[in-house]
Amino acid sequence: MAEEKKRRAVATKTAAGIPKFVRGNLSATLKAKEEGKKVAKAFIHDGHDEIMRAMDIVPAWGESFSGVCAAKRDAEKFLQKAESDNFSRSLCTYATCHIGFEMAREEQGGAMPEGAPWGGMGRPDMILGNGQLLCDPRFKWPQALQHYLRDVPVFVTNMYYPPWDPNVDHHEQEKFYVKYCTEELHETVKFCEKVTGKKMDWDRLAAVVDLSDKTWDLFVDTYDLRKAIPTPMDTGDAMNTMVPITFNIGTQEAYDFYVELNNELKEKIAQGIGVADPEKYRLIWAAGLPSWFALNDFQYFNGKGAVFPVEVTYRDHEKIERLDLPKTNDPLERIAWRWVRYWTHWYDAARKIPGSTPKVARIIEYFEDYKCDGVVFHSAFSCRSWHAGIIHQAEVLRKVYKDIPILIMEGDIVDISSYNEADTHNRIDAFIETLEAYRNKQKN
Amino acid sequence: MTKVVIVSDRIETALIGPTGPEHRKLANKVMEEALKQARLRFEDLSYIVATGYGRINVPFADRQITEITCHAKGLYSLLPTVKTIIDIGGQDSKGIRIKDGKVINFVMNDKCAAGTGRFLEVIADSLGVPLNDLGKLSLEASRATPISSTCTVFAEHEVTNQLANGESVANLVAGVHESIATRVYSLVRKLQIEKDIAVTGGGAKNIGLVKALEGKFGSPVLIPPEPLITGALGAALLGKEKWEKARLDGYTPTRSKEGLQEAKLFT
Repeated sequence: MAEEKKRRAVATKTAAGIPKFVRGNLSATLKAKEEGKKVAKAFIHDGHDEIMRAMDIVPAWGESFSGVCAAKRDAEKFLQKAESDNFSRSLCTYATCHIGFEMAREEQGGAMPEGAPWGGMGRPDMILGNGQLLCDPRFKWPQALQHYLRDVPVFVTNMYYPPWDPNVDHHEQEKFYVKYCTEELHETVKFCEKVTGKKMDWDRLAAVVDLSDKTWDLFVDTYDLRKAIPTPMDTGDAMNTMVPITFNIGTQEAYDFYVELNNELKEKIAQGIGVADPEKYRLIWAAGLPSWFALNDFQYFNGKGAVFPVEVTYRDHEKIERLDLPKTNDPLERIAWRWVRYWTHWYDAARKIPGSTPKVARIIEYFEDYKCDGVVFHSAFSCRSWHAGIIHQAEVLRKVYKDIPILIMEGDIVDISSYNEADTHNRIDAFIETLEAYRNKQKN
Repeated sequence: MTKVVIVSDRIETALIGPTGPEHRKLANKVMEEALKQARLRFEDLSYIVATGYGRINVPFADRQITEITCHAKGLYSLLPTVKTIIDIGGQDSKGIRIKDGKVINFVMNDKCAAGTGRFLEVIADSLGVPLNDLGKLSLEASRATPISSTCTVFAEHEVTNQLANGESVANLVAGVHESIATRVYSLVRKLQIEKDIAVTGGGAKNIGLVKALEGKFGSPVLIPPEPLITGALGAALLGKEKWEKARLDGYTPTRSKEGLQEAKLFT
């Protein structure tokens, strides 16, 4: 115990404003009825954000609600509720936690379930889904919800993008996907017009899309500041600072948040303030949604001098210039191009490494740019879609970087029964020792 | 179990003492016994490293190092050709890939007792066979009865049912070994296994389990002379290395100021 020494860990002040955003989003769904607005149960990264913002539809984010339940370690009652109707624990626990919540509310005749975190979330007037390539809950969750919310109309689009195939040049296909996505978005607008009884204001939509583009750029510029050594911001913080771009994109508040964060990071860099003092190891959070009930694990890393200047999770944005989007007067086509180009823009880099994938190409880019020493993955048990392929990614990274230290943590996003703190910390300890051994070997 | 290894230029003593709710805080007692056996005083020890799940409960330790690093160090000192270690302990099972005695990758089985020594303890108990006799008994099996349940509790029920249906105890024990070996293999194969392979921990003392592992890995495995103490040996060697390096660099390593006392955590 003589050598145990607590090291300083510094969070950004700007991140302290995040609970206000999250609470604000939840309370907006409750106030919507008084304000004559419609509430849509919606999914993040579905391409629907700007449509909802331009039509004054208030999004009810199921993932956010379940994440808040998990962070407060208060999800169990909703998970059990869903389980009582045969929803398995191995299904997406974002979905089952939210479905359990809606089941409880319907059973109580629409009354808010007691103890719903932060006042709960408003009952939706519509459900928007999106069958992405990977995430099956994006269409199964709306379908399952419809069993309990019988009067609520559901609209599920398919925002597909060219699937990864190392032998196919996706550039030849992308315009067909963009056309398809654009049509899906137009149908979404028609659906929203029908439910709200209001027509889309196309000029307003174009302005919202422009604001989103600006926010994408500012977000990436701000996060790139974390390349500084020592890094001024950790992934532990990023799991909070992702809120405005993930849940509030297309709003001035989201843009302003990143202006403030950008200023704070620049100040920290100028003063040489890092997350850990000393900063011993730089790691990439290479895949995986976090265990929302165990975000302190990031501080556990920080306490050992290990920082995460970069993460893949919730960084689903890119500099607009890099995506080289064709000009169009249709804001929905703009969204479609941004969507397709974003999901495919690592394909070319991936083709250059035999056996690689776009996800690995992205990790390699970040690993180099942020001067990382090791890689951490988190495998969330109930989320198959976004966590499939972690072992393959680790194997490809080992082919590229040989004995690079890689840690695969195991847990879940919401269900605490899939998590073991003592073992997680034990693995982190062993991983830190592996990083040290690797560094010594590199020196010799 | 609590293990103490004291090294100088050789192994001075290696002792295995009990662990449990009461004994967990009594690492000092096992240390006292080891010192007595080695004819040393506590003051004679230059540096102490604690490892394993209980490493934070050793107030007199100068440093804590995880069992992953310690296993690698200890085993490398005994069997330097080994590149993959399979450790089957009472609480978990692990796979460790090493290169020149240093860890390059590891995997651990947690949250579930399947594939660990605890699984064997439960089954031994329900079959009424002493744990130490399971290995030899399984060699008398005519076949390994398939055990389909991976959950320890359900596997215990399955074994009890099979026993009631007239299956021989030897066949059932062989089936249990096969089940653990399958579980461990699927865990360790994530490491890109390289030979030589060694098995440590209590599982290495079970000849039936070792044979089942050899079958799964398609290769003979090496067993250190005392597979229970490789982690403690590694801790002792790392402590020695740390102390010697400090001496070479001209400084005295920071020591715990706690004397040989029991952990206060549980009092």
